[in-house]
Amino acid sequence: MRSRFDEQLSLLNKKMIEMGAECEELIALVAKALLNGDVEGARKAKEQGHIIDQMEREVEAICLKLLLQQQPVAKDLRVISAALKMITDMERIGDQAEDIAEIIPFLDGRTGAEFTDFKLMAETTCKMVTDSIDAYVKQNVDLAKAVAEHDDVVDDAFVRMKNMLIKLISENKADGEYAVDLLMIAKYFERIGDHAVNIAEWVEFSVIGVHKGA
Amino acid sequence: MTKKIFHSIFIVALVILLASIGIATSFLYEYYNDSQQKQLKAELSLVADTVNKVGIEYFENFDSTVFRFTVVYTDGTVLYDTQANASEMENHADREEIVEAFQNGTGSSARNSSTFSKKTFYEAVRLENGDVLRISISQLTIGALILGMLPAICAIILISAVVAIVLSHAMAKKVTEPLMQLDLENPSENSTYEELTPILTKVHKQHKEIKSQMETLRRKSDEFEQIVSSMNEGLVLIDEHGMVLSMNTAAKNIFAVKNDVKGSDFLLVDRTVKMSKAIWNALDGNHSEYIEERSGSEYQFTINPIESDGKVLGVVILVFDISDRAFAERNRQEFTANVTHELKTPLQSIIGSAELLENGLVKPEDTSRFVSNIRKEATRLVSLINDIIRLSQLDDNNEPATETVELTEVAKEVIEVLTISAAKRNVTLSLEGEPQTIFGVRRYIYEIIYNLCDNAIRYNVDGGTVTIVIGKENSRVIVSVKDTGIGIAPEHQSRIFERFYRVDKSHSKETGGTGLGLSIVKHAVQYHGGKLVLDSEVGKGTTVKIVF
Repeated sequence: MRSRFDEQLSLLNKKMIEMGAECEELIALVAKALLNGDVEGARKAKEQGHIIDQMEREVEAICLKLLLQQQPVAKDLRVISAALKMITDMERIGDQAEDIAEIIPFLDGRTGAEFTDFKLMAETTCKMVTDSIDAYVKQNVDLAKAVAEHDDVVDDAFVRMKNMLIKLISENKADGEYAVDLLMIAKYFERIGDHAVNIAEWVEFSVIGVHKGA
Repeated sequence: MTKKIFHSIFIVALVILLASIGIATSFLYEYYNDSQQKQLKAELSLVADTVNKVGIEYFENFDSTVFRFTVVYTDGTVLYDTQANASEMENHADREEIVEAFQNGTGSSARNSSTFSKKTFYEAVRLENGDVLRISISQLTIGALILGMLPAICAIILISAVVAIVLSHAMAKKVTEPLMQLDLENPSENSTYEELTPILTKVHKQHKEIKSQMETLRRKSDEFEQIVSSMNEGLVLIDEHGMVLSMNTAAKNIFAVKNDVKGSDFLLVDRTVKMSKAIWNALDGNHSEYIEERSGSEYQFTINPIESDGKVLGVVILVFDISDRAFAERNRQEFTANVTHELKTPLQSIIGSAELLENGLVKPEDTSRFVSNIRKEATRLVSLINDIIRLSQLDDNNEPATETVELTEVAKEVIEVLTISAAKRNVTLSLEGEPQTIFGVRRYIYEIIYNLCDNAIRYNVDGGTVTIVIGKENSRVIVSVKDTGIGIAPEHQSRIFERFYRVDKSHSKETGGTGLGLSIVKHAVQYHGGKLVLDSEVGKGTTVKIVF
């Protein structure tokens, strides 16, 4: 009975890592497509998005099965409940990456890479997602904490980017549609960063038992 | 074992004890009954004799508490009884012993009393007057006797049980003690029970076998470990559950793993979707292969299932560093593209000029300019093709004739050939050092010095100098070509020996040359086993030194 429980727990862990890796790769793919103005790459990335949704349901089923059939306590319960929370964040990351991919064809070959803050946001967000998944894989609390620090970089860059775009629109230098598209993408990146922080916080919770938000 | 021995001893002791008590009791009881009967008979005959002589009055003063006497008249009525009133007693004619006595003269019987706790023995004899005299005694039955002895028996059993427990425990321990102290590490050195010798010998033999097998196994795994760890290719073995079985040093470097990951999930090492898919694929028995860039190098990942009897036992991942191969591949592609481009440009120019001439679009006074243009481009094409031929000769590595070559002689020859072009650019050519001889291919050495000097002149400044120095350094022959030219920036220095590489791509036409010169130099130096040392600074000049 116990060994079966352990088996299911390790399966959960495996699926979580796989789902995390999928997210990580999707956002990296989208960021690359965005900065290279690669419409074809964006289309491919968008096709990959549904895999994450599918994996979310899979992990969810495993979690609920574990909760119902094994009635775990203490750390096991923490790990499973944290997993349930994390997959929601991962799924949101996937969705928002897809949303960015959807905008890319409308940029007409422009990439936004001319704005250093925009590039910084894309790169930092990708790193944050990777780090939060890494923190989960290695169960490393320090790494999880570092993710939250990176979020400040993204937030600051977002504010600067927003001000810059406002200025550009008011000076009528850039056409409005392009500026709004960039702003939306920037916002998505900012949100993805927040989700990465959430994942990191749940990693911390599952390891030490205290949630930062509490 | 101690327990079993203890139990057996204890049970045997108890059974023997109970059996001996039972046998002794019944034997004693029999004996006691027998002697009682004899005593009864003796007493009866004694009393009967007296009664015969004295008559029934004998009992008047008779006092007996042990025995009971009864005198019965021939019709069965009781005449006298020592313990009860005779008149109140019932007729005794049907009593067994009385009947026997009337018939045979004597009779005896034994009857249990109504409570069964007592047994009464009767002996009867016919008196001379025809009456019957009976003697009787009551005693406990065997059941009652045992019942009466029960506390004593219990006490005996209890005490003997305790003694048996203690003794059998000690004995059991004593029997098993040598077994407990068997030294199984050295089975042949034990001297306990003879009966164990075959087992111990067998154990000893198996010990030796296991040891040698372990040794072989260890050696084999050591060998494997040694071979695998010195491999340049990354090798990872994974079991059917995705756990890492083995990972060599190269693989650890490639996957950036610091600690030992043996026994942990491979997902912890690498979680890329491509890899996961490839592993799943391999677990289904399929081969997969892909190329991916990691930390600046290009790797080829080959993932194969490990199969035995059609069952997948695990997965083997092989990682090759193909950076060099990929680089060479890119170089080759670049070279092909360059060659076609370089060959096409002069041809286009020739075709263009020829077409203009053909259609009569050129003014007569310009004709000579166009014709000389065609000639120049054609010459360029020929020299380009010559260079490519020379390069491919060097590539082929076919063995040309080697001889003793005197370097200053070759250098002088080069200077002679290049004087005109040097003069055109106002560059002074000079030779320093004393004659040195090396063993090599004269034509190749000529190519080396010629191309180096040609470049030194071509990329020189007005009024600059080119110096060829031939000498010895650390007992090795060196040739160096020093110029005061424009120099080469550090970022180009590693690439100038590539075919068709140009520092300044846009001005290659002006300076001339094919872009193959230094490539030829490199190959020729390599052919002679020499070393090229480049020392250059932008604006100051370049020194190329060849150490043979």
